[in-house]
Amino acid sequence: MEKRYWKGLEELQNDPEFIKLRDNEFYELLPVKENDHKPETSRRDFLKYLGFGVAAASLAACEAPVKKAIPYLVKPEEITPGVPNYYASTFFDGHDYASVLVKTREGRPIKVEGNELSSINGSGTNARTQASVLGLYDTGRLQHPKVNGKETDWKAVDNEITAKLNDVASKQGNIRILSSTIISPSTKKAITDFAARFPNTKHIQYDAISYSGMIKANQLTFDKAAIPSYRFDKADCIVAFECDFIGNWISSSQYARQYAQTRKLNAQKKNMSRHFQFEANLSLTGSNADFRYKLPVTEHGAALVALYNLIASKAGATALTSASTSVSEGLSKAADALWNARGKSLVVCGSNDVNHQVVVNGINQLLGNYGSTIDIANHSNLRQGIDEAVNELIAELNAGNVGALIVYNSNPVYSLPDGEAFASALKKVNLTISISDREDETSVHCQYLCPDNHYLESWNDAEPEAGVYSTCQPAIRPLYNTRQGQQSLLIWAGAPVTDFHEYMKANWNTLLAGSGKSWQNILQDGVFKKTNTAAPLVFKDSALAEAGNNAAAKKSGTGLVIYEMTAMGNGSQANNPWLLEFPDPISRLTWDNYFAVSITYANTLGIKQGNIIEVKAGNKSLKGPVLIQPGLADNTIAIAYGFGRTHAGKAGNGIGVNAYRLANGFQHLISGVEVSKTIEDDHQFAGIQTHHTLMGRNRDILKETTLAAWTQDSASNNTVEKITTYKGKQLPHEVDLWATEKQPGFDKPNHLWGMVIDLNSCFGCGSCVVACTAENNVPVVGKDEIRRSREMHWIRIDRYYSSDADPDKNEGKKDYSKMEIPSDNPQVVFQPMMCQHCNHAPCETVCPVAATPHSSEGLNMMAYNRCVGTRYCENNCPYKVRRFNWFKYFDNDQFDYNMNNSTGKMVLNPDVIVRSRGVMEKCSLCVQRIQAGKLQAKKEGRRPHDGEIKTACAQACPADAIVFGDYLNKESEAAKMKEDPRSYHVLPALNTQPNIYYQVKVRNV
Amino acid sequence: MIYLHLRTLSGFLHNTDNNLFNLNHTTDMAGTKRMILRVAYAFLFLLLSNTAFSQPSGEALFKGNCAQCHSTGDNKVIGPGLKNIHERRDIEWLLKWTKNSQALVKAGDDYAVKIFNDYGKVVMPNQNLKDDEIIAIYDYVKAEGQKAAAVPAATTGGGTTEPIADQKTSPWLIITIVISLLVLYRILNRIKKGLEHALLAKEGKPIPEPVPAKQATKNWIRGNKKLIAFILLILFVWGSVEGWYALAGIGIQQGYEPDQPIKFSHKLHAGTNKIDCQYCHSSAAKSRHAGIPSANVCMNCHKYVQEGPVYGKEEISKIYAALDYDPNTGNYGPNQKPIQWVQVHNLPDLAYFNHSQHVTVGKIACQTCHGPVEEMDVLYQFSALTMGWCIDCHRTTEVKMEGNAYYADYAMWLKEKHGPDVKLTVDKIGGLECSRCHY
Repeated sequence: MEKRYWKGLEELQNDPEFIKLRDNEFYELLPVKENDHKPETSRRDFLKYLGFGVAAASLAACEAPVKKAIPYLVKPEEITPGVPNYYASTFFDGHDYASVLVKTREGRPIKVEGNELSSINGSGTNARTQASVLGLYDTGRLQHPKVNGKETDWKAVDNEITAKLNDVASKQGNIRILSSTIISPSTKKAITDFAARFPNTKHIQYDAISYSGMIKANQLTFDKAAIPSYRFDKADCIVAFECDFIGNWISSSQYARQYAQTRKLNAQKKNMSRHFQFEANLSLTGSNADFRYKLPVTEHGAALVALYNLIASKAGATALTSASTSVSEGLSKAADALWNARGKSLVVCGSNDVNHQVVVNGINQLLGNYGSTIDIANHSNLRQGIDEAVNELIAELNAGNVGALIVYNSNPVYSLPDGEAFASALKKVNLTISISDREDETSVHCQYLCPDNHYLESWNDAEPEAGVYSTCQPAIRPLYNTRQGQQSLLIWAGAPVTDFHEYMKANWNTLLAGSGKSWQNILQDGVFKKTNTAAPLVFKDSALAEAGNNAAAKKSGTGLVIYEMTAMGNGSQANNPWLLEFPDPISRLTWDNYFAVSITYANTLGIKQGNIIEVKAGNKSLKGPVLIQPGLADNTIAIAYGFGRTHAGKAGNGIGVNAYRLANGFQHLISGVEVSKTIEDDHQFAGIQTHHTLMGRNRDILKETTLAAWTQDSASNNTVEKITTYKGKQLPHEVDLWATEKQPGFDKPNHLWGMVIDLNSCFGCGSCVVACTAENNVPVVGKDEIRRSREMHWIRIDRYYSSDADPDKNEGKKDYSKMEIPSDNPQVVFQPMMCQHCNHAPCETVCPVAATPHSSEGLNMMAYNRCVGTRYCENNCPYKVRRFNWFKYFDNDQFDYNMNNSTGKMVLNPDVIVRSRGVMEKCSLCVQRIQAGKLQAKKEGRRPHDGEIKTACAQACPADAIVFGDYLNKESEAAKMKEDPRSYHVLPALNTQPNIYYQVKVRNV
Repeated sequence: MIYLHLRTLSGFLHNTDNNLFNLNHTTDMAGTKRMILRVAYAFLFLLLSNTAFSQPSGEALFKGNCAQCHSTGDNKVIGPGLKNIHERRDIEWLLKWTKNSQALVKAGDDYAVKIFNDYGKVVMPNQNLKDDEIIAIYDYVKAEGQKAAAVPAATTGGGTTEPIADQKTSPWLIITIVISLLVLYRILNRIKKGLEHALLAKEGKPIPEPVPAKQATKNWIRGNKKLIAFILLILFVWGSVEGWYALAGIGIQQGYEPDQPIKFSHKLHAGTNKIDCQYCHSSAAKSRHAGIPSANVCMNCHKYVQEGPVYGKEEISKIYAALDYDPNTGNYGPNQKPIQWVQVHNLPDLAYFNHSQHVTVGKIACQTCHGPVEEMDVLYQFSALTMGWCIDCHRTTEVKMEGNAYYADYAMWLKEKHGPDVKLTVDKIGGLECSRCHY
């Protein structure tokens, strides 16, 4: 049966609005109104403006402004103006970890890339890491220390705090430090030193999105309170329960990288992992699974127990209490696959319920996965928060037993389920100190605000996994009057060494003793590994039976999934406009979170998309808009963390609703919530899904096959439809006016740049989208403009659902109603789409001013200053990848994001021009990087090496799904991949001869 | 053209004289009208000769087109020095040579062949210039040569060899002529009227009432519609042409020579002291920016050289002030303030230019674009820095492919395609493609 792809429910249901959008190239006709309040510009106004414009232009042209050139007084030796420097550093905001290289130009960081030497994330990064550089230039950061809301200096703050701390200590009062997870050995030592000075100090770690259940489960089963480290690359079979390990779970860029290695296929590697996903929400990971089953929240524990029992029966172990679920068929399939791959399999679960995690540990133990795919001996440090410790602190605060509280890089008022109660409890503490980067929801309730440096201004180190270290060094001096939190602690503790750089260096000298590496080596590499493999731990099954009983306990009612969204994570970067504008991979919505429900459930509730509903979990309720989302389990509501900030900053305040309020008992899966409709059709989403449709020509866009079929025929399902001509059926390129590749006259003698994108390892995480934004100065346009289809991203990741039903086969009539049934659990395909750099480009031939010609290296060039903005090219592009600058997006108060202030503009890449109003733009294949790479090769008198030049998207991809290279270099990875039988062009019938190839997606079903 | 117009002017004067003569004999009104028309035409031509087709600036043309290879003095640069070239060759020969020197050489012109051989058979590029532009260039060269001769004469206090007056007609001269002509016309008109009145009185006819000036003007306009239309047309054409040139010149700062905070002389440093350009502008070989040296580079020498030949300690002390350096103690203080130089070469942001591409890979001498910096006391923008200027060079400059493995296969392919004798200029390797410079 032929597969049909669709982009959204609107398409499936032939929504009239969708049809209008699909058939019209542009969302609306030439909108000249700048905002709705003003009347339209009249003809006379136009003439006035024209006259004024001409006069102003001639006046302005009279004298060119005098430009100053101000050189360094004493130029640092390592800086050559115009040449970037890279510094190895580490990004960890208490949530996401990445060892990175920071690209600086004339001393200001402009981009972060993954550190290839890192064994954790390698060259890959996720979207939030890519966006973190913009956080440095956030004007919403706290710029001075403050006491009771008044700006002051550090000396005053230190004096007062030290005096008060001594006072608290002398009265035997308790001092508490509440922080997010700390993976830095030196920071921990500083806290220990602080606690030695003030012995009544206790350090509590707290993860906004809690993984406490896993830690406690490991305590119960292995006597070790820690998160294990995972090796997805060693797993032949992966079964995940509500666990988004590609997008968000613990160390997603690491897991995505590992997982990708098991999904690659080529002439040498002929097998791939099999991936089962059981989940209520449609996650990024679930959408990449070979088999995906909708598992209601109420049955989550039961399903785990059922799987345990299935495996136990194969292994001859004692079964747990019996449990029945609606996914028993899928579970037995998964159990078979797991058992066949035992020792090389992996079961993971995203629940924060300790019972669930104990059962999961039991399953992995039965499968013999400890020691191969899971390593609990060499644990991960990335999550260390224990919920009980936080509850204990809240109790202490309420009882008035805390003399001083230091909140360090943590925002409990925002992220605790009962944040308001925490805020009022803070009033009972005599001394409250906040070490945060901004005046956030918690800081406003604290007396002393001691602003922390951004990580790009700080010294730090990290131990993400036992024995795996990385360092963090400042790439710029602090922009504001801020100070590292660690330094503050050392100063208040009266430590002998208060400079954290020196303090950390001393630590490292101890750590490096005998390794043969120096401090300088470590700073240069950014990473360090100590090979001290811990002895394997023994599994204890004592807790298993009880956990099984608890997990299998019958639950009922509506289920609520609170998940982490790829853009926003835990909400610490909520004021980052790049992330706010980053479309969610699944819903393709920007600038929002929402209650996602399935269409069936929506019909049951009688609600429509955009309605505002109120969801009540425990004693908390939350109002938010509804999104109809395919793939959700029935009777389930899903909402993302990280939104609804009130003190994040200009861009992030008031975006979405705060789902932390519903996370009763720090749980992400909650049963028995109550739903009530409040307002009808009130909320407007800014989605980009139905924009840029490919005009229904989707049979030529996506190609997929199964592993079995591919093993038989490596060109399986990869045929090009022939065109009927007078000579009979011919391939598109045989009917051509111009020379195609390999024909004389094609004339690309020096280089032929291109990219090959493996749809099998593209998971849709969107790291490339943010990387491209950072590299190419792509503007942020805001929610209103996105609603008008005017987003500016040069690369987008199209998400297609597919259903097996064929509307054509229904008695000769097209009938899409059949497709609605499978749409409840659709298969998903992601396809990155950017300028295809067609060798026979339709856009080039229609430009009246030749602003977009073709280069002799295969690039489709775009000369902005030649462009007059006819938008013919946009109209004629079959891939819909061209973007028009409807407005001047810089220095414009209507777009008050990073390009509207001088601090924010420091992030701009000086090698790429900022485009002005009225011109077209699009992916340039990072021509600035190509030119720089070529120049380097020319200077050294050699050809460029393969992999030396990488586009921003290819470099950021954690899965290496995007491979850039020179097709003329036959040894290059890209040239080899392009010749693979899996490679194809999108829309080959148009014979545009793109330089971007895609590789057929293969499902292991 | 100027000469032609001057001739017209003299012709007009002559005619006017005739008319004046005629006046005494006739009372024909048509004659007066004719005369007025003539005045108007002459005025217009004068206007045109001085403004619409404005005299090409020999200096700008010389600097933009010739100065890379020729000086106005005796010294050889790449080609011969052009001092007193007007004595050696006549203008017809020079026009031919400038437009196509090889044609002259091939035609066997003795002088041309000699010059060609004397200067290492380096082909002088054909200059796509108009005759009047070439004449302007040689006029400029002539003037420069005489200026140079005049200076030593002046210093010795000898005879005052005034440079020959500029060939350009001064606008003031023309304005004076026009005004005096108008005054003359008015006086003559009065006389004529008086005579007419006298004649009428003599014949006993009534003297017509004097028409008010306003009415007279109106009458005149009514009677001269064609003339007015013609004047308006000419003014429109003139305005358009002027406007066009004005617009084309927007943003071009050739010759821009701003005052700098320190009177730094490239002539002294690069010329007299022969300090290599890249000693100070060290990033030119490595980066897109040539870079302005930081003050610590100045101090490499000026720690020791504390006095200059022209300004003594005054200018050098400004470096010390910037670094808060005390030359007596050799200590640097804390109150350092950067030097704010005025940028001379302002390439627009939309164009990406990389110095290292041209200096390291292309092995282009700095002077090719920046001109004789070693002769500049105050640095000025030598080249136009327009896109046309870039492209012209890319069309004529050969790529340094030899010995660079990057180009090895490429050069072979290009020779196969264009023939073995092809000049592998930058445009042949895609040097005119948009995204080489615009991204």
